[in-house]
Amino acid sequence: MGILDLKKISFSYNREEFIKDLSISLNGGEFIGLLGANGSGKSTLLKLSAGILSPQMGEINLWNKPLHHYKGKDRAKLISYLPQMLDINAPFRVIELVSMGLYPYDILPQLSPEEAIEMVGLTEKKNSSITELSGGERRRVFIAMTLLQGAGILLLDEPLANLDIKYQIELIRLLRNLRDIKNISVVMALHDINMAFQFDCVYIVKDGRLIASGEPHEIIAGELLKDAFDIDVTISDIFHPLKPIK
Amino acid sequence: MRKIILLIIVSICILFVSVFILPKFINPFNLDDTGSQIIFSIRLPRVIVSILMGSALGVSGAILQGLLRNPLADPYILGISSGATLMAAAGLIFGKIIFGLFTIPLLAFIGAISTGIAVGIMGYKGGGLLPERLLLAGIGIGFLFSSILMLLMSISADDPYGLIFIFAGFLLSIWRVKGLNALILGDEIAYSLGFSPFKERLILFISVGLMTASSVSLGGIVGFIGLLIPHIVRYFVGSDCRFLLPSSALAGGILLCMADTIGRTIMSPTEIPAGIITAIIGAPYFLYLLRRKEIMGV
Repeated sequence: MGILDLKKISFSYNREEFIKDLSISLNGGEFIGLLGANGSGKSTLLKLSAGILSPQMGEINLWNKPLHHYKGKDRAKLISYLPQMLDINAPFRVIELVSMGLYPYDILPQLSPEEAIEMVGLTEKKNSSITELSGGERRRVFIAMTLLQGAGILLLDEPLANLDIKYQIELIRLLRNLRDIKNISVVMALHDINMAFQFDCVYIVKDGRLIASGEPHEIIAGELLKDAFDIDVTISDIFHPLKPIK
Repeated sequence: MRKIILLIIVSICILFVSVFILPKFINPFNLDDTGSQIIFSIRLPRVIVSILMGSALGVSGAILQGLLRNPLADPYILGISSGATLMAAAGLIFGKIIFGLFTIPLLAFIGAISTGIAVGIMGYKGGGLLPERLLLAGIGIGFLFSSILMLLMSISADDPYGLIFIFAGFLLSIWRVKGLNALILGDEIAYSLGFSPFKERLILFISVGLMTASSVSLGGIVGFIGLLIPHIVRYFVGSDCRFLLPSSALAGGILLCMADTIGRTIMSPTEIPAGIITAIIGAPYFLYLLRRKEIMGV
C-alpha cells in the first residue's frame, strides 16, 4: 500500500479513452520519470493523480482515503501539481506569485517565500514582474511556488521544458535533495529520454496503459522505446549518462 | 507604496474640488444656508453615489479580468451591465411589486447574473470558455439589450436601495481574493493550491453581479470604468488582487466622481452625462493600452 494508489483507473473524454485500466502505487521518497509519446496519456495520468480529473472507473486513494474525500486545503498540503502550460499574462511580481504557495496554510510552514526563491536561483529577480522573465525563469518561479506549498507528493508535467540544461540539472538535483532530506515523492513527465537516467524508476506510458516500469537502465532499451515512441532507436554509449548527476 | 499614497492624496484633492469648488466655489469655512443646502443635499449625495458606482465598476472589472484571464473583460463589454439595466427598466415600468423596496436592484441583479450565464454559454466551446467568443457574445447581447432599452426609455433609475449591494459584493470579493489570485494562474494551479475553481468563480461572479446591478440601478450604464481602472491600477500596485481590488475601488470611485464633476461644470448649467466624460478619457487610454504590449501580455 503506497501513499498514493491508483487502482485500475480508466478515464475517457468525448468517447475517447485516454487512460485504460491503469494501476500505480506511489511510495514515500520515490523519484519517478514518466516517459511516453505525445498523446500517450502522461498528462492525463498526472491530472488524475492530482484530482483535477476524476476517473470513470477505478479508485484513487491518498493515504488510504479516497482522494476526493479530502478538503481542498488538506489535499493541497499533501499533493501539488504543476501543469505543462504556464500561460499567465498578469504582471505578478515573483515574490507575490511564489507566496501563493502558502494559500493552503493557516499556520505558516518553516520555508519562507524568500528561501523558496533562493532555491530556484531567482533571488535577484524577486521583485521583478513575471512578464519580464524568460520562459525558463517563469517556470522556476512556479517551481518555487510548488516547493513553498510543501506537499509530500510533487506531480510535475514536463517541468524541464524550456529550461537551460544548467537549470534542468539543478532542478533535478534540488528535487533529489528534498527527497533525501524530507522523503518527498516526485513524479515527473519527461520529454527528453536522456533525462530518464536521473530517476530511480521510469514508467513508460503508451495509449493510456503502463507498458513498462523499472530502473532506467533496464527500461531504456531499444525495443521498448521503439514500441513507446514508434521510432527506430539506437542507444549510444556517448549519450548514455548512466550515472546520475551528483 | 509611494504610488498608493500619491493615489490617496490625489483622491482627497478631487473629492475636495468636487464638493466645494466645482461648478461654483462654496467656502466650507463660511457656510450660509444656501451653501450648506447645495453641499449636503445636492453635491455630497451625488459625490457619494458617483464614488460608489465607480468603485463597484472598477472592482467588477478587475475581478472579471482575473476570472476570464482577459484584459478586455468588464461588465459593460460582457453585456452584464445591459442585462442589469434592462431588468431594472422592467422594474421601473412594472413598479415595485415583486421584492418591495429592493425590487430594482434585485431585478438588476437577476438581469446581470442571467446575462452573464447566457454570455458564458455562448462563449463555451470544446470544454472551455473561449475568451474571443465570450467577448463577442457579450458585445452582441449588449447591443441587443441596449437597442431594446432605447425602445423602452433612457434609463437612470436613481434608486438608492442598491447601495447595500455594492458593499455586499465588495465584501464577497475580498473574502475570496486569494481564490481570484489563484484563478489568474489557471484553474489547474488553483486546484492544486486547494481551491475549487468552480466555487471560487461562482462566488466572485455573484459579487460582480451584485456590484454591477447596484451601480446600474444607481445611475444607469457607465462604460469604460471597469475596463480602464484595473489597468491603470495594475501599473501602480501590480496584479496581486489583495491590493488590486481595494485600489480599483478607490481609483474607480475617484475617476467617476471626477468625470461627474467635469460633466456638471464645463457646460453648466447643462450637464454632460459622466459616461460620456469617462469615455472621452477612457477611449484614448484604451487605444494607448493596445499599443503597450506588456500589459497583460496581449
